[in-house]
Amino acid sequence: MNETPQLLFKNRRPGETVFMEGYRATGGYTALEKAFREMSPADLRGLVKEAALRGRGGAGFPTGVKWGFFPADAPGVKYLVCNCDEMEPGTYKDGELLKADPHQLVEGMIVSAYALQTEVGYIFIRYAYEPQAENLRRAIAEAAAAGYIGKNILGSGFDFELHVHGSAGRYILGEETALLNGLEGIRPNPRMKPPFPAVKGLFGRPTTVNNVETISNIPHIINGGAQWFKDLALTPDGSGTKLYGLSGHLNRTECFELPVGISLREIVEVYGKGVRGGKRFKACLPGGASTPYLTPAHMDVALDFSSLEQVGSRFGTAGVTVFDENTCMVAVTLNLIRFFARESCGWCTPCRDGLTMVRWLLETIDSGKGIPEHLEMLKEQLKNISGNSFCALAEGAMGPVAGLLNHFEQEIVDHIELGRCPLRK
Amino acid sequence: MPTLTIDNKTVTVPEGKTILEAAEELGIVIPHFCYHKALGAVGACRMCAVTIHEGSVKGLKMSCLVKVEDGMVVTTSDERSVEFRSRVTEWQMLNHPHDCPVCDEGGECQLQEMTIAGGHGIRRYDGPKRTYTNQDLGPFIAQEMNRCIQCYRCVRTYKDYCGGRDFGVLGSRNRVFFGRFKDGMLESDFSGNIVDACPTGVFTDRTYRFKSRFWDLQEAPSICTHCSLGCSTIPGGRYRELQRVRSGINEEVNGFFICDRGRFGSSYVNHPERQRQARSAGETVSVEHALEQLAVEARRLIRSHGSEALLLLGSHRASLETNWLLNQWARELGARPPVFSAHGGRQATARAVAASKAPLASLEQVRQSDFVLVAGCDPLSEAPMLAVALRQMVRNGGQVFVYDPRAVELPCEFDHQAVTPLELHEFLNDGGADGKHMRELLQQAKSPVLVGGGDLLGAYGMVQLQSLAERLANAERSCLIYPVLAGPDSYAAGLLADDRSETLLERLESGKVRMLVCAETDPLLESSAPGRIAELLTGLEQLVVLDHLPTAVAKDADLFIPTRTPLECDGSFINNEGRVQAFARVLEPGIPLAQENQGGHPSREFSTTTPGAEPWAAIEALQSLLSQNLPLAELRARIVADVQHLQGLAQLEAGHPGYQLCGGAIKASVSDRLPEQPEGSLQLIVSPARYGSDLSSRYSEKLEPRFVGARLQMHPLDMVARQLQEGDEVTLDSDLGSFRLPLISQPDMARGCVVVEHNAAQTSLVPGSGVSYCQVGKEVTRD
Repeated sequence: MNETPQLLFKNRRPGETVFMEGYRATGGYTALEKAFREMSPADLRGLVKEAALRGRGGAGFPTGVKWGFFPADAPGVKYLVCNCDEMEPGTYKDGELLKADPHQLVEGMIVSAYALQTEVGYIFIRYAYEPQAENLRRAIAEAAAAGYIGKNILGSGFDFELHVHGSAGRYILGEETALLNGLEGIRPNPRMKPPFPAVKGLFGRPTTVNNVETISNIPHIINGGAQWFKDLALTPDGSGTKLYGLSGHLNRTECFELPVGISLREIVEVYGKGVRGGKRFKACLPGGASTPYLTPAHMDVALDFSSLEQVGSRFGTAGVTVFDENTCMVAVTLNLIRFFARESCGWCTPCRDGLTMVRWLLETIDSGKGIPEHLEMLKEQLKNISGNSFCALAEGAMGPVAGLLNHFEQEIVDHIELGRCPLRK
Repeated sequence: MPTLTIDNKTVTVPEGKTILEAAEELGIVIPHFCYHKALGAVGACRMCAVTIHEGSVKGLKMSCLVKVEDGMVVTTSDERSVEFRSRVTEWQMLNHPHDCPVCDEGGECQLQEMTIAGGHGIRRYDGPKRTYTNQDLGPFIAQEMNRCIQCYRCVRTYKDYCGGRDFGVLGSRNRVFFGRFKDGMLESDFSGNIVDACPTGVFTDRTYRFKSRFWDLQEAPSICTHCSLGCSTIPGGRYRELQRVRSGINEEVNGFFICDRGRFGSSYVNHPERQRQARSAGETVSVEHALEQLAVEARRLIRSHGSEALLLLGSHRASLETNWLLNQWARELGARPPVFSAHGGRQATARAVAASKAPLASLEQVRQSDFVLVAGCDPLSEAPMLAVALRQMVRNGGQVFVYDPRAVELPCEFDHQAVTPLELHEFLNDGGADGKHMRELLQQAKSPVLVGGGDLLGAYGMVQLQSLAERLANAERSCLIYPVLAGPDSYAAGLLADDRSETLLERLESGKVRMLVCAETDPLLESSAPGRIAELLTGLEQLVVLDHLPTAVAKDADLFIPTRTPLECDGSFINNEGRVQAFARVLEPGIPLAQENQGGHPSREFSTTTPGAEPWAAIEALQSLLSQNLPLAELRARIVADVQHLQGLAQLEAGHPGYQLCGGAIKASVSDRLPEQPEGSLQLIVSPARYGSDLSSRYSEKLEPRFVGARLQMHPLDMVARQLQEGDEVTLDSDLGSFRLPLISQPDMARGCVVVEHNAAQTSLVPGSGVSYCQVGKEVTRD
């Protein structure tokens, strides 16, 4: 059924984890051998830039550009950090990938470290992903035994050590600078930028932080080439495949590897097998909890970074959460805001107290006690919180609120006028 | 330098400044909470939002984070900025109680001011408020966490700036908590700074709580008297009671903060036993009468017994003016020049510092330095804010090396070499391999500073340090010295002292002194040999004391004249770095209303005088002995005419950062002979306790929770060699007598030494005598 070439999920079989033997059987570590024997670090960085790979952690920053900022040739200790603190609601792709095929990330880390000339790598992993962390530890040990990790890898003169580090389990640790603080063992508040991690990151040294899926793509780009990778996408400016994690009111909620640029309709109807119970599609979060809603009007929008930005949403992590026609969007938004308000690190006022205010407004409206002024206040909060917080958490948290106000304002008005949820009879 | 426009005004500021700082130069106040000049910008509160119209970034931005650019156009009071800031106020006020009238901070609360200025009068949020259980943080600080607006200033002050380790941020989201893991007294010696740093009523001075409203306090710029550093303070009094001290700002010296000894150590002003009335032979007399009697008797004594019969004793606690007037009076009487410190060693050290040709560093220069060698100094005991300054230089990437026999602690990373005093002198002299390495490091440093502890190094050590500094100076940069002295006016005492004059002990031993006049000093507590002095005082015909502390000699004096504390008069001090600074009168003397009638209703009897207002400023008292009554400015002009290099004193005003003297104006002859070590002896180090060594902190009741008992510290290996165990009562025999003390083991100190702390529980061994020796053993019980 799935015609997409499987890169990341090619070894994925229910209940199984592939380790060294199985990974090698399907071409594992050929990219590493090729990179170390045939390519210079600069070649690798150029290749990734050419492949137009965009970060898979949610922000979608072009990986090649990020690597371009990195002082790979500067002397001294530098770090490569993999962000596996996957805590975005509705997002579980990295967990699925590491359940199936942990060596992809390990190989990706080694070649990325070589490209960036970082001697030390860390995989910072969500505490709920202990089985995946165990897979990684085993994969790292196997890679080390095979001579892919350690001193003078494949005679290249390049040394690399790789560690798995557990997260303490808060959403904010997924923010790259908060993650670095967490990794250093200090309070995980986001750091001020500039200086950016590429200049002053982990322990004050140049550091690059990339997502699991981003790094796992690197060996495939090396093997297949930049143009092949770009051509995998359905949109002209997109590139590669993407892991789409389906959830919500669908008949099938699984994770699929599909092309970048696939339409929402295909996701819902073909891969999700339609909305549960034959109901109508009302809305979805296209890329995790911090992306503004899409509506039935967006069914034919291509799921890619630029096309979703054009309709006022974001591709995010491609964790698609679908809501059926019986869902109260005020309640959905409240549920999400409760999560974000709870996960605020408490550093800046708009996030710490502003989200509390938004939560209170939504609770009041949801419970039928809202007054027209509350709608105005909600708009006021959106205007003042978005773009004015210290890091992107509050900005993301206001994504669903923006979606609610843009597409479902009438539903808020109905709550206020009826004094109850209009969907409850 | 970029030029930018803020609210239609143009300003040019150095590269790297932020919009907030540039606006400050124009006198435009941008509201802010988390930004603090000493703590920097962290972008947490979002209060300082402004709108940028021209620049590489545009729109609503935080002015504390955006660096100025040439041609930038900024507005601070446009509709968008004001709207956003009023939202920030509303967010901050979601949980904050609307009860300013019952809050101790009310009236000096930044949040109150911002909320009113922002027009946030009505609360729209009617959801549940977040509440906390407060912690007991000890006797100094009260906590009311419900008032917190999470600006993080307290933790940035306590932990980041001052290096405290037992206070921090706990929790997350809107339940962030600032406190300790569990209840308990804050451990840092700088804990009180969170009171000044907190912009609202979360952390308040527990010793001052609910005593006064800010606007009712009498405040004036003052100088701290608890060590030689001369930090700027702002004491506040009301109802004749000194109620609190907050930090003043002197960016050359303490910066924005002070230590707890300075903050909580001024209740000596209100001491219930303070002698407020003049006494002659046990009878209460008027101050005028006592001064008249003193003038007559001093003159008669000189006439009949010669210039040596009268000994005037100045002090490192007394003001520059007082010490100088003492000199004038001696001249007028034809008496021998005064002695300016009861402690011979400390006086010689101060004189050696005043004579230094090597330039002295300011505390700010210590903060800016990249390499500091601390020789024979325990900053937390002798000069607490020096420890905080060292922390700043380490935070900026600098290095600190400490050579000291004691188990020195600092609130930063540093290298400690536990060397004995003798080894320290040797190290400064030729150094050996270690000294050579250190010299190389110092030579490579861009702005090296040598810190010397006067008490341990003595005058000879100070001279050694100076010659080291001279050797390390090169064409590009000098090597500065930062000497630490005993008291707030030690430098002046050294400057004014006659180089040929003998010490107090020598003068008294000569047997020629018949009358001793102690100006704000107690030789029983502050001399190098209290026991011997006590014997010698009994041989005097007359003991005259001018003081404000209820010391033993003040109580026993034949003639006592009450003086005002430095908080009750104007004057000036010269601090350890040779900086002349003025202090101003905060309040008039008088028995605090709270003390009258044992805390009951104030007296219902009316009178035209204030009870307990008798004390005179020592300056006034001495001027009256000289039959003059010059205003302070004129008096200072006379001092300048007499002591040329004090120029600038005439223009000095309280609250100004003061000016640093050029050294080398006087000459000091310093003996380079160190006493020989007797067989089997240990080197004795008498170290000031962190609290209760300086007399004004000893008489400050508020500091009592910080006082510790008398103990003798010894290295565990030395204990084993002597078959001693921790907890043993041991006998210490020295030239100053025999003492019994409990023994504690201190693995981080030098071997071959013992350390005894000088504090309220152990007053007979006083720091400042340089190298000395003792024998320690278990007491032999004789049958």
